[in-house]
Amino acid sequence: MELNLIHFYPDLMNLYGSYANLSVLCRALESMGNTVSVETVQPGQAIDLGGADFLFMGAGTERAQKAALADFLRFSETVKAAAEDGCAMLLCGTAMELLGKSITDAEGCVYAGIGMADFTSVQGKKRFVEDVYGHTSLYDAPVVGFMNKCSILSGIETPLLTAMDMGFGNEGKGGVEGFLWKSVMGSHLTGPLLVKNPRMLDTVIAAIYARRGEALPTALPRDEYAEAGYAVTAEQLKKRCHP
Amino acid sequence: MRKLLAILVCKALRFVGKLVGKGSSLPGKYALKLCPDILRRVELPQHIIAVTGSNGKTSTVEMIAAILRAGGKTVVYNEEGSNQIEGVATLVLSHATLSGRVRADVLLIESDERYAARSFKFFHPTEFVITNLYRDQLTRNGHPEWVYDAILPAIHPETKLILNADDPLSACFARSGNAVKWFGLEKCSVSQDAPSGVYHDGAHCPVCRAPMVYDFAHYNHIGAYRCTACGHARPTPDYAATAVDLDGGTLTLDGDVTVQLAFRSIYNVYNILAAYTACLECGVAAETAAETISGYVLKNGRVQTFRLGGHHGTLLTSKHENSIAYDTNLRYVASAKEACTVLVIVDAVSRKYFTSETSWLWDIDFDLLAAPHVKQVILSGAYSNDLAQRFSYSAVENWIVTPDIAAAAAQLKDGCIGELYVVTCFSDRDKLLAHVEKEG
Repeated sequence: MELNLIHFYPDLMNLYGSYANLSVLCRALESMGNTVSVETVQPGQAIDLGGADFLFMGAGTERAQKAALADFLRFSETVKAAAEDGCAMLLCGTAMELLGKSITDAEGCVYAGIGMADFTSVQGKKRFVEDVYGHTSLYDAPVVGFMNKCSILSGIETPLLTAMDMGFGNEGKGGVEGFLWKSVMGSHLTGPLLVKNPRMLDTVIAAIYARRGEALPTALPRDEYAEAGYAVTAEQLKKRCHP
Repeated sequence: MRKLLAILVCKALRFVGKLVGKGSSLPGKYALKLCPDILRRVELPQHIIAVTGSNGKTSTVEMIAAILRAGGKTVVYNEEGSNQIEGVATLVLSHATLSGRVRADVLLIESDERYAARSFKFFHPTEFVITNLYRDQLTRNGHPEWVYDAILPAIHPETKLILNADDPLSACFARSGNAVKWFGLEKCSVSQDAPSGVYHDGAHCPVCRAPMVYDFAHYNHIGAYRCTACGHARPTPDYAATAVDLDGGTLTLDGDVTVQLAFRSIYNVYNILAAYTACLECGVAAETAAETISGYVLKNGRVQTFRLGGHHGTLLTSKHENSIAYDTNLRYVASAKEACTVLVIVDAVSRKYFTSETSWLWDIDFDLLAAPHVKQVILSGAYSNDLAQRFSYSAVENWIVTPDIAAAAAQLKDGCIGELYVVTCFSDRDKLLAHVEKEG
């Protein structure tokens, strides 16, 4: 297949290795015989999202997020329609907050989100920082990662992580984390979560294939170092959750 | 009375602490409990210089102390690097008379960037050096703008700021309206046309988010930036490095002062420049500063040379979780012309706390090692798989993985090509140094 991936605001929203999610996705899709192109979108730049197979936005600082939001609002209807149609998306860190109804900054100023879902984000002056060991309804293996955010997200009924043994969820310690609706994923897990979680990468690939009506090969590509790195981290974190 | 008691307790605990080799923040902690505003009630020296920033604090502070002392000034400073309020209290009180007068011309403080506001609640620096602000230790710091916001309340209106003209983010502190002296590196032999690195934190203006353009850059996004919309731009430095010859190891300050570089890194150039600026602002002569700093080898040096079997090695301590620290050392390796082997170790991400956070590996520009003289790269440590995956996305081809550090050392003893460069953090360096013979 010829696949078209869209990278929103690659400089503005690119904290802590966020871009690597696209790097691993591109390599995996290419190794499956696809031709992959990545189009980047800068604020104000005209772009047609019509043929997009995957939309991606990395994490940014709270101030960068407001600049991204100011531009992203012009895509509200297109992005919501694409999501409805099953288009795969990943929004990392503060980018996922753009999908909600509103974002309130630490000074109390309220910004409207694109309203794909009915949740709200409230940013504060304290950061929630911790390693993450959680679970998702998408597959059996644990989800590993790290979190560093200053937001409380309320009203998410379809989270990406359905349980957390370690880490901060949408509304505080434990609970559930992130956002999952159709093939749209959002998470405050830091940076390269598809790098750290090879099964999450598989899920994105499956979603892209499904929307194209293509059968998914029985064996998906495997990066031996990604698998081994994941195993080490999962073991270390599991030990800390259940000593 | 409480003041005297706090001073006595601090001095006594410090004395005992030194005997048993204990840390330097505990005495101050007890003193602050006895007299919470003790730091307001002591009589401080005429100059209080504070240094903060993401990178270069310790080196800059050490050089400032050396220059000031050479200039005939008495200096009290936290050499042990206890840079939160408790450590500052220990420092101040253990050098105070019983009446609370600090016996020195200059109080010099390396201040933790996130806790500066707490440290300077009861007194404020006369000169505040901010070396730079960029991605550093996500596990503690969030992101550079978060740290910026944490430092802002530590800035007293009467404090003179000494700022890096070439760093678009920390330059924003000048917007506070304080008196500012700028240091910067002019266009010179190391300048590139555009920022480099894996990510570009200078792409958007930190003030208004409009695109920025660069006339030149020295490393990563440090250079001559200009916002295309709001006018935020690199100011003209008051103190400038006007020429740098990294091959010859010389630095020219303000057009006519020459300094020999003991360590030929662009980083060192900025640290020297920051120290030079702070000292001249305190009345030291430029010649004295230049003489002191010329060929100055940092006590707190992060470079250690050693021998491993028949091979010569250089350890370049790079902070894990700090991509620019890595980039700087990788650039140093890249600039060496002789054949070499590089060992990268990530075993414990931090020596102070556990985390398995490795996103910072993706922010490091490992492509710098894709040079013909870099003959082999060995990846080692518990996170060698994460390193390997990262390297598989770099332009470097000749890398191998040896997870066990002792095995990697044994392998290098037999089969190291040329100089061995070890790139790792404080948390992991001793795991290699245990297998080598240190020099000097």
